[in-house]
Amino acid sequence: MRDLPGLFDVRVKARSIAYLFATGASLGLLTLVFPHSQEVRDVPLIILAAIAYVIAAIVWLSADRLRDWHIHAILASGTAIVSLANYYAGPGSLYPILYTWTALYAFYFFPLREAAAQMVFLGASYAIVLAVEDADMVVVRWLLAVGTPLVAGLLISQLLARLQRQASRRRQSEERMRLVLDTAPNAFITLDREGRIITWNAAAGRLFGWSEEEAIGRTMRELIVPTEHQERHDARRQALIDSKSPATEHFEVEFQRRDGTRFPGEATVSKLEASGEVFVSGFITDVTERLRREAEREALVREQAARAEAERVAQVVGGMQALVDAALAQRSLDGILRDLVAQVRGVLDAGDATIYLTDEHDRLTAGASTPGEQAGGEAFARRVAAAGDAILAKDDSLIGVPLLAEGVVMGVLVAGAKPPREFGGEDLTLLRLAAERVGLAIAHARVYEREHRIAETLQRSLLPDRLPELPGLEVAARYLPAASEAEVGGDWYDVIPIAGGAVGLVMGDVAGKGLAGASMVGRLRSALRAYALEGHDGGRVVERLNRLLWTEAEESQMATMLYLIVDPAASTVRWVNAGHPPPLVISGEEVHFLEGDASVPLGVLPFPTYEEVTGPMNPGDAILLYTDGLIERPGEHLDQGLRELAARVREAPGDPQGLLDHLLATLVPPHGASDDVALLTLRNLPVPERFSAEFPAEPESLAPIRSMLRRWLSHAGADELEIAEITTACGEAATNAIEHAGTGNGAHFEVSGRRDGLEIELAVRDHGSWRSEREDDQGRGLDLMRTLMDTVAVKPGEEGTTVSLRRRLAQRGGDT
Amino acid sequence: MEDLVGVEIEQRDDHVVVARLTGELDISAAERTGKRIAEAVPSSARGLVVDMSELEFMDSSGVSMLFSLARQVGSHRQQLRVVAPPGRPVSRVLQIVEFDRAAPVDADVESAVAEIATPQASQPPPG
Repeated sequence: MRDLPGLFDVRVKARSIAYLFATGASLGLLTLVFPHSQEVRDVPLIILAAIAYVIAAIVWLSADRLRDWHIHAILASGTAIVSLANYYAGPGSLYPILYTWTALYAFYFFPLREAAAQMVFLGASYAIVLAVEDADMVVVRWLLAVGTPLVAGLLISQLLARLQRQASRRRQSEERMRLVLDTAPNAFITLDREGRIITWNAAAGRLFGWSEEEAIGRTMRELIVPTEHQERHDARRQALIDSKSPATEHFEVEFQRRDGTRFPGEATVSKLEASGEVFVSGFITDVTERLRREAEREALVREQAARAEAERVAQVVGGMQALVDAALAQRSLDGILRDLVAQVRGVLDAGDATIYLTDEHDRLTAGASTPGEQAGGEAFARRVAAAGDAILAKDDSLIGVPLLAEGVVMGVLVAGAKPPREFGGEDLTLLRLAAERVGLAIAHARVYEREHRIAETLQRSLLPDRLPELPGLEVAARYLPAASEAEVGGDWYDVIPIAGGAVGLVMGDVAGKGLAGASMVGRLRSALRAYALEGHDGGRVVERLNRLLWTEAEESQMATMLYLIVDPAASTVRWVNAGHPPPLVISGEEVHFLEGDASVPLGVLPFPTYEEVTGPMNPGDAILLYTDGLIERPGEHLDQGLRELAARVREAPGDPQGLLDHLLATLVPPHGASDDVALLTLRNLPVPERFSAEFPAEPESLAPIRSMLRRWLSHAGADELEIAEITTACGEAATNAIEHAGTGNGAHFEVSGRRDGLEIELAVRDHGSWRSEREDDQGRGLDLMRTLMDTVAVKPGEEGTTVSLRRRLAQRGGDT
Repeated sequence: MEDLVGVEIEQRDDHVVVARLTGELDISAAERTGKRIAEAVPSSARGLVVDMSELEFMDSSGVSMLFSLARQVGSHRQQLRVVAPPGRPVSRVLQIVEFDRAAPVDADVESAVAEIATPQASQPPPG
């Protein structure tokens, strides 16, 4: 009960209690003043009154500090005092005090109104009790006097409390609803049956410019519905009210603000029935912003679609153009046809497309198709070729157009529709247009391919099929034909092993292109090989080549060339430069060009002199030869090209293959070089303390073994005679190994060597046995070995024979 | 693969055939080279000079070739002379196998040719 509203606060209660204690005591004393029955005993009553005064005084003074339990205790003590007083004063004499005491409880526990009502009933009860005062039934009198007011008071107070709670709840609910409506972002309006506004929330006020006070009681029609929509508004409202069941409708309509401006709104209205009353409620939202956003989004979607369409068209047109460009730039016919069918398929949105080409015998063959060839396409293509014009067939599902170049049918393009699409006149026009260009492209590509194939075949035949394997050396080469030349250039390179373990490197560029250039390359190449093997000095070799070119070229022909002789045994490179870009030497981190004494190109003068220049080529060094196609760029100075080349070489990997790949990747434009590019590199591998190598058991292995040994012995500190003798001895052992291996394919033998200071030990291990028909030779070979070496040991074993050769080098200041 | 050895055959007016060898001579080409030289010597020739002064390398197969040539020209009553200047690897090999027991070894081509052209001045071949 304490949660009921309307309670006094503790201080007021305390003061009231004090006041009532004092009043009660005073009333008690007053009854003693007036004449009273002898049964009343005065002294105890006076003492009780005194106690009541004291308590009243204490409570009054400490009212601010009292707690609820203090008040309960005080009330209990009061009850005790009243009960004692009633005992001493005699039954019935203290009704006024009891009444007061009951009131005290009532006011403490109940709100003012209920307490007052209770006291009214209680007063009435006492009146009844007093009226039957004379009755003898003391018990009945007490029950009536105390029970009646208590029971009545409790019942009444309960009823009142419930009523108050309900009222309070309704009030709260209404407040909450009001709060919800007013904070709602949307306007909320309720109309009664006649259309008068009964609810108008804050949002409605903001939206329409009418305040709640102004709006209530007026009609929606006169406030916010534009004139021309009023009839429809009335009709709709009436229809909603007349509808049988509770209904909700949703519509978009124009509304008007107080200032006359209008806006598009969205209304959700419902018919409601409550307590037999019909009314209409509705939410109204301003959708201006939403409509604007929707319009924007639509515009954006339309724009994107338009742009995509434009891009697609541009792509198709560009693709078609690129195709023709590609054909004019002499790409392969196969590639062009493949791209072409794909493009045509895209342009026409076709299911499939096939190009048939006319061959030398005027037959049609499928050149390229995607994704699958039309059934019966070839027969149809023949019809198109015969007609010489585009044809639509098979209920517009098949379209064919001849590809013409200068009036000649180069081929036929056939496309099949992708259901449900059908071809139409537009497609015919587009395809005719494309066919003209495509026909030319194919004609061009065909001519180019024929020329290119011949020249390239010739050129390839002039370059080494594979580079020789050179012990202690690593070589690599690349040849890249120009991207846009119909004719193959006159670049050539060669690697020629020459006597004494040296290797000749050639890089040349004949000025004439095409067949004339290629055939001159062929002659120069074989002449140079012959001169080189004859052991001529580099200068003399190049002079002879100049003579050849000067006297034998049909018209004035020119060539630049480099001839280098790398001698790994001597760690030198000798070179002759006839007007060629300088070769490049890579020595550790250092990169430099072999400049100096570049002479005129071949074919310029009748008797020029060419001189060899010698430079170091240490183990680990590499040399790079190239043609000008690698460094020449239109509008760029040659020096700039050389600087660029040196920079690229510096950052390249050390191995020959990696070096060339890097140069091609960084120096050749993605679409190909404008001139042929030839690259050749040789690396003089570091010389190890010991080596072991396998060789095929064939006579051709001997020269590489000698080269390897010369180089190795030279770095071991052997002089020329020692090198010759040890090489000869080892060569004899190797020759024996080759002979013993028999003629079986895949037989190998092993040559190994190690040095310990000046002590050289070589071993040749084969997998055969030392029996031979050529006893003379073998004996001679053994004699040679024994004479040339300090010790020779022949160890026959289960798996083959091992020959060990030892020799101590003469002490001298060499590379040890 | 091309031969590492080069052969130039020259017919002198004085009925002497000079075969000039360059490069390196080993078992890969020795037999072929010997055959080629032998075929280049007509029966009318008085003798053959094998010029090895420009030959960089020769092993026992080259020696065999020379012995074989010596036998062939000898059977036609023709002379064989080999040119190998001393101090070079080839002459060292010839020395070791004692080739001079089969045919004389000269230091230069001209004196070898002269020896054959003027038989009265020549020593009869030993053996």
